[in-house]
Amino acid sequence: MIDAVWKLESARIVAGLTRMVHDVGLAEELAQDALVAALEQWPESGIPDNPGAWLTAIAKRRAVDHIRRSQRLERKHEQLAYELDQQRDPERDDVLRLMFISCHPALPTEARVALTLRLLGGLTAEEIARAFLVSEQRIIQRIAGAKRTLAEERVPFELPDGSELAERLSSVLEVIYLIFNEGYSATSGDDLMRPGLCLEALRLGRMLAELAPHEAEVHGLVALMEIQSSRSAARTGPSGEPVQLHEQNRGRWDQLLIRRGFTAMLRAREVGGTPGPYVLQAAIAVCHAQARTAEDTDWAQIAALYEALARLLPTPIVQLNRAVAVGMAHGPQEGLALVDSLIADPALRDYHLLPGVRGDLLVRLGRHAEARLEFERGASLARNVAERAFLRRRADEITVTGSPGATLGQAARDFLARDDLDAVTIRSYGQTLRRMCLTLGEHMPLASLTADQVARVFATAWDEAAAKTWNRHRSAVRSFGAWASMDLATGLDRRAETRPRAETIGSAQLDALWSRPDLPLRERTLWRLLHESAAAVTAVLSLNVEHLDLDDRRARAGDAWVSWRSGTARLLPHLLAGRTRGPLFLADRRPGPSRMPAAADLCPDTGRGRLSYERAEYLFKQATKSLDPAGGGYTLRQLKPRA
Amino acid sequence: MRYLMTTKPTDAAPDEKLYAEMAAFIEEMTAAGVLLATGGLEPGGIRVTSFGDTITVTDGPFAEAKEAVAGFALVEVRSKEEAIELTRRFRAIVGDGESVIQQVFGP
Repeated sequence: MIDAVWKLESARIVAGLTRMVHDVGLAEELAQDALVAALEQWPESGIPDNPGAWLTAIAKRRAVDHIRRSQRLERKHEQLAYELDQQRDPERDDVLRLMFISCHPALPTEARVALTLRLLGGLTAEEIARAFLVSEQRIIQRIAGAKRTLAEERVPFELPDGSELAERLSSVLEVIYLIFNEGYSATSGDDLMRPGLCLEALRLGRMLAELAPHEAEVHGLVALMEIQSSRSAARTGPSGEPVQLHEQNRGRWDQLLIRRGFTAMLRAREVGGTPGPYVLQAAIAVCHAQARTAEDTDWAQIAALYEALARLLPTPIVQLNRAVAVGMAHGPQEGLALVDSLIADPALRDYHLLPGVRGDLLVRLGRHAEARLEFERGASLARNVAERAFLRRRADEITVTGSPGATLGQAARDFLARDDLDAVTIRSYGQTLRRMCLTLGEHMPLASLTADQVARVFATAWDEAAAKTWNRHRSAVRSFGAWASMDLATGLDRRAETRPRAETIGSAQLDALWSRPDLPLRERTLWRLLHESAAAVTAVLSLNVEHLDLDDRRARAGDAWVSWRSGTARLLPHLLAGRTRGPLFLADRRPGPSRMPAAADLCPDTGRGRLSYERAEYLFKQATKSLDPAGGGYTLRQLKPRA
Repeated sequence: MRYLMTTKPTDAAPDEKLYAEMAAFIEEMTAAGVLLATGGLEPGGIRVTSFGDTITVTDGPFAEAKEAVAGFALVEVRSKEEAIELTRRFRAIVGDGESVIQQVFGP
């Protein structure tokens, strides 16, 4: 019972407290204190008449106590009195601010999702963990990390305005839709849907629509989610298998939710403006909802909407959906042409719906043998059990006449089972052939394999890879072709390996790195310092706060000096945030008792250990993956400027 | 999950304050997506009974009016506890009387 009250009230309580104490983490702790008080008192005293107000009052009392204890007593009091005065209606704005903070771009996406469910949805870490099939510990860490980042970055508790508003709002919408989609089409696990998450996302969306009523995209998102949810009962069959939209029993669509979706859509239209991506997607959903039977669907309209959407959001998945709509509106041949233009897109390389859609179109064109291969390939790519079974069934439904002969998969296995290859070669060749089976389908008849298809696999899989990697895969294919007496590598040129990997990072990449808005402060400072000082990574990581000479922009590391320029100098005071001693770069967490480092590597104030080389290197690699043409990410050593 | 909350009629006449509080409550719950549908029901109504092959239609009012339903609310909630909490809030506004909450299965 207390849990139910908490879930209904926590967003408002935490939001109000954040306004008072200017720290989300602290606000949530205070709110939790109030919850604990409720757990102690309510079983004896009974639930108060207005439990929400009771929790708020207790939490605010704690907040005032806390502020009183803190040093800046006078100023805070004045501020508090002023803010309590202002507290009449801004409650709604507080919740909106809390949403913006939880979805702040300084946080990684996963942390935004966890923090939003936690602070706005009132879910426990355990509930979030269960919904996302990860350990509770991971969620606790994600939330703690997010709160720390917000505190370190001093993210203000305010409503963004102007151009920033649009950007920040889209981040909030993205988080909500991500939660919805994780519930609606679970990317992993055994069930196709986790309805709890859909409901949470709907709640958040409806809440946002009340808080920001003048944003068409918010209403668009709500409409989209309402209409998609309306189909949830119809989109799985009796044994949990997915039922495609055109085969769904429309009588099982929830008319209440459809009506809510239409209402939200009308509100979006009232706001006006050029339709954004959510409004367009909602408009497509409305088209489907309005069709009384699948045959009544206005595919021409849907294809036109997808075309508009693809202009705003040219993602491969939108293009794929557009191809489906075009296939319905203008015939399978046109749809197939669009799908085929997507095959080379690396983003769709392992996306199981691409072969699924292609298979559908091929069936309609009467090309059954090819369709079967596509469904089989789709099944081998699908990660969700229900979807995999569905694609498998579609493949099995097609009976192909004639003897198929050896398949690619069987040939690959026979090839690798030869006894004249050493283990290293088998492993290396195995990687190449596995990728070919995954991309082309292992049931594909070996006889129909062409050099063009092999070249396409290479283009999507390894075009960006290092020349050495490309050549390794190329020799695997040549060897396989020689064994099978087929010419498979004609489309593959050997790549020159002479150019050594650049020792330093190019200035364009560096500029891109520095201009990233979402870099944590610690990383940003460390990387700047390494770049500006050209010092050894170990020396920089060994720096202590007491070694720093901020005025002269240098620090002593052992018997050498590390000196920096303005970029680092601007960041250092923020990183220090009042610390006067201990390691300059700290680890994210306090060390466990079994891995307690030497006292010199511990911060005497926070108890956190020194940032390790391995961790720093890992973070840098991860962060620079997208910048590195070879795709592996850079090493910290490469930050040193060219001599 | 969905719950249907039904409320039995009372003798007390609603006043201005109750109307205002109720309107605010309904608006808040509707906006939050919790309240899917709500309405009041005419007293009495029409009774349709079947027995064997015979179907009888009788116009109200009926003697056992106290057992009838005067209003309903269909809510979408996370748990039974949430449904109870919402009904508590509703009862706190309307004053003396009785409501029944039942989970709705299907469709």
